[in-house]
Amino acid sequence: MINPFRKGILFGTTISIVGTAFCVSAIFILMVAFVTAADTRKDFARHMDELLDTVESTASVACFVEDKQLAAELVSGLLKNRVVSRVVVQTADKELARGERAGSYRADATPEPMVQAVSRKIMSPFSKDKVICEIRMEPDTREANRLVWENIYFTVSLLALQLFLVAAAVVLIVLYFVVRPIRALSNNLHSIDAAAGEKLLSPKEHQGNEIARLTDDINNLTGILVDALQNEHQLRTQQEINEQKYHSIFDNAGSGIFIADVNGHISSFNRSFVLLTHFPVDEHGQSPKLAHAPWRDHERLMEAIRVCVETGANQSVDLKLDTEEPCWLNVILTDSGNDQVQGVVSDITQAKQSETTALQMAVTDKLTGFSNRLGLERYLPDAIRHRHGEPLAMMLVDIKGFKQINGSMGMSAGDTVLKVVSSRLKGCLKNTDWLARLGGDEFAVVLHGVSTQAAAESVAIRIIGAFRQPIEIDETSIASGCDIGIAFYPTDGADLPSLLRSAEFALSYAKTTASKDFQFFMPEMVVTAEQHRKLETELHQSIQRDELRLFYQPIIDLQEGRIVGAEALVRWQHPTRGLVPPDAFIPLAEETDFICNIGLWVLETACRQLAAWQAAGQQLYLSVNVSARQIPDALPPELILEMLKRHGLSADALALEITEGVLLSDIAKGVSWLKELRDAGFRVYMDDFGTGYSSLSYLKRFPIDVVKVDKSFIRDMDEETNDRVLVQAIIAMAEALGLQVVAEGVENECQISLLRQMGCRYGQGYYFSKPIPANEFDLLKQKGIYLPSPKSSCLT
Amino acid sequence: MLRRYFLVCCFAAIPAIAAAADDIVVIVNQKTAVNKMSRDEVINIFLGRNRQLSSGVTALPLDLPSTSPEREQFYSRLTGKSMSEINAYWARLIFSGRASPPSLVHSQEEAMQMVADNRSAMGYVARSKVAPSVKIIFELHPE
Repeated sequence: MINPFRKGILFGTTISIVGTAFCVSAIFILMVAFVTAADTRKDFARHMDELLDTVESTASVACFVEDKQLAAELVSGLLKNRVVSRVVVQTADKELARGERAGSYRADATPEPMVQAVSRKIMSPFSKDKVICEIRMEPDTREANRLVWENIYFTVSLLALQLFLVAAAVVLIVLYFVVRPIRALSNNLHSIDAAAGEKLLSPKEHQGNEIARLTDDINNLTGILVDALQNEHQLRTQQEINEQKYHSIFDNAGSGIFIADVNGHISSFNRSFVLLTHFPVDEHGQSPKLAHAPWRDHERLMEAIRVCVETGANQSVDLKLDTEEPCWLNVILTDSGNDQVQGVVSDITQAKQSETTALQMAVTDKLTGFSNRLGLERYLPDAIRHRHGEPLAMMLVDIKGFKQINGSMGMSAGDTVLKVVSSRLKGCLKNTDWLARLGGDEFAVVLHGVSTQAAAESVAIRIIGAFRQPIEIDETSIASGCDIGIAFYPTDGADLPSLLRSAEFALSYAKTTASKDFQFFMPEMVVTAEQHRKLETELHQSIQRDELRLFYQPIIDLQEGRIVGAEALVRWQHPTRGLVPPDAFIPLAEETDFICNIGLWVLETACRQLAAWQAAGQQLYLSVNVSARQIPDALPPELILEMLKRHGLSADALALEITEGVLLSDIAKGVSWLKELRDAGFRVYMDDFGTGYSSLSYLKRFPIDVVKVDKSFIRDMDEETNDRVLVQAIIAMAEALGLQVVAEGVENECQISLLRQMGCRYGQGYYFSKPIPANEFDLLKQKGIYLPSPKSSCLT
Repeated sequence: MLRRYFLVCCFAAIPAIAAAADDIVVIVNQKTAVNKMSRDEVINIFLGRNRQLSSGVTALPLDLPSTSPEREQFYSRLTGKSMSEINAYWARLIFSGRASPPSLVHSQEEAMQMVADNRSAMGYVARSKVAPSVKIIFELHPE
């Protein structure tokens, strides 16, 4: 450590001032010495000159009269001066006087005389221009030098003293005005506590000068510094708080957080990360890697990290852990630069489970517990892939008459039926087989490894047998059955949609084939279906092309033997097929809403015909078949009334024929529709009575006018006693309810006589006439109907 | 004392002014071989430098009394110096004894007489006082 004094201002200043003073003094002293020496020499010369002046007039007299004694007196007088060394008085021809001072030094003794000898020419006292003698005076050089040095010493000493005093004064002034206040400030600065707000005091003697300003400046500066320090401290505190906060958030976050590089080295992670990923912290100590967690598919995570780093886009990946409890984690990766990613791990096990459940729900049929159509769609491609394309049989099973069960006994009964048959279905199959309910009453069965018709057939027969067993619902026993369509993979379809289509072809074929409840798919079915589709297209154009015809089958009054009306029946005059029977196209029309268009056409045509008959003076009525699809919205009573009005007809000219099934889907609406019709004056015929699932109680509930007994009863009436009894009962009941009865399918005289005996008033059938065009009908009307004699009987 | 001296001087000047118009002449004995002298020769003789005449005769200069206006006019016209200066000059020389001032006579008449009587005597008088017994060798005209 250097002595502080040596670093002090005082020391520096003193040294500087003394040094400067010394240098300046040296220069000045040298200059002054020279000047003084020169001055002294000049003075010396002048002094000699002045000496000569004093003796000049005497010398002049002495020389004028050549008075040696006077001259000698003069010389000795001059020699009394210490500066004079030798004096010579010389006239033109002789030396008048000469003198030397003893012990003196002359110029000839020193090589370079500092003071030259002085000589003066003396004039005659009476003639100003006449030189009479010369005085030569030589100086004492030692005395001259002594004088010079004496003067130099004196002057230099005085100057040195002056300079010394000035330097000392400057040092003292600096000490007093600069060093002392600065030291005082410094001492004050050391003693004050600026952070506590203490201020520096300026020394009293320096109020208002630079020292005071310096003090103020220092105070301002310390103030600023203290403020800055306080701000800095506050900021740091805030930062620490924030850091603690974030640290605490990081530590306590429910989500796992980690930072890892592209190689999976983890540089930072929190507690949740360890908990969520079951990360074995202790085992790997200093260099934890993502791979240490028990990922099931670690490579996917690494791939996601690579993609994240390369593209900079966030990545989200769901990963499963190899733990006892099923555990799913979602990892969201964010690129944090420097080939590093920041990962947020969250537990999505529950979400995954609910997703799985939801998926399960979505692919499962609630009622039966089988998979649904979606389930089948998911299952089959996987199954085929897993079994490496092993052949299989696809069965579509459809419950017979399920709609009717549902309609007549309610939805819950339908559900019960479904549950029962599904459990039976399951009982018919192996565990490896797959069951699905595709919707409604249709089931799909996948039989793995079944490639032959024989194998499939045995299963089909087993199923059909199971379905035929009666089902007990609310103490009612229902007999059902099923239709089965079978298609094989891969021959009938290489994927699910085509396989299902093939099976559906087979199923629909099975449905239409009464003799056999199951059908294997055959390519021809596709052709048939194609034709079916073509027919449907053509049917839709039939009205436009005016290909529909209305035929009339007369209704006969069995008592009076005359035609009272007719049933209007639609026929399709196909350009290439000829006359298409209703069975071949009405169901087709029923499948779509085209039946409504046909219904309207029929109604319109019937009205026209009625109007024609009325114009011809014929009192006939027409009954028109109404399809279930038309009721109630497609055929509102107002529309029919409007149509009748247009043709100038009254409501009683038209009768509407409905079947029992028409009303079953929505009884309330059907009943109100019927009531409206009857209020409007129409008569309602119940067609095909006795078939179907309706009970006799319907007759009471439905407001109808006429019951048409189904031809199946009439046909066998003359041979089957049961049928005859049934017909008799129906007629008796109708009579009791005030309903009229029309017997359908009357084909022989025997039936006529039986019906007459039973009291059936009206009949209809081939015995009288098949359905015929209007012109033929007119001819028939003119010709009249032949009735057998009332007494004839077929019974023996 | 000074005032008195000054007054005396003023009064003394009156006759001098009266005589100013007259020449001062240097005279020698008729028998003297010298007939003419230069101003320097006259100065040398009267102011003690040498007393030898060109004829080899030692001259004996004569001075008029110090109160005589002719004496003052003589030295004034001859050397341009006042009487006090001439007196100071002689004071320095008298000290060494090497030279002596001219002999004093009491009047111009006595001077005339001395010159007439003595062959080496040499004096000065106003021109009006000159008698035929003396020879004029140098003249000092009024300025």
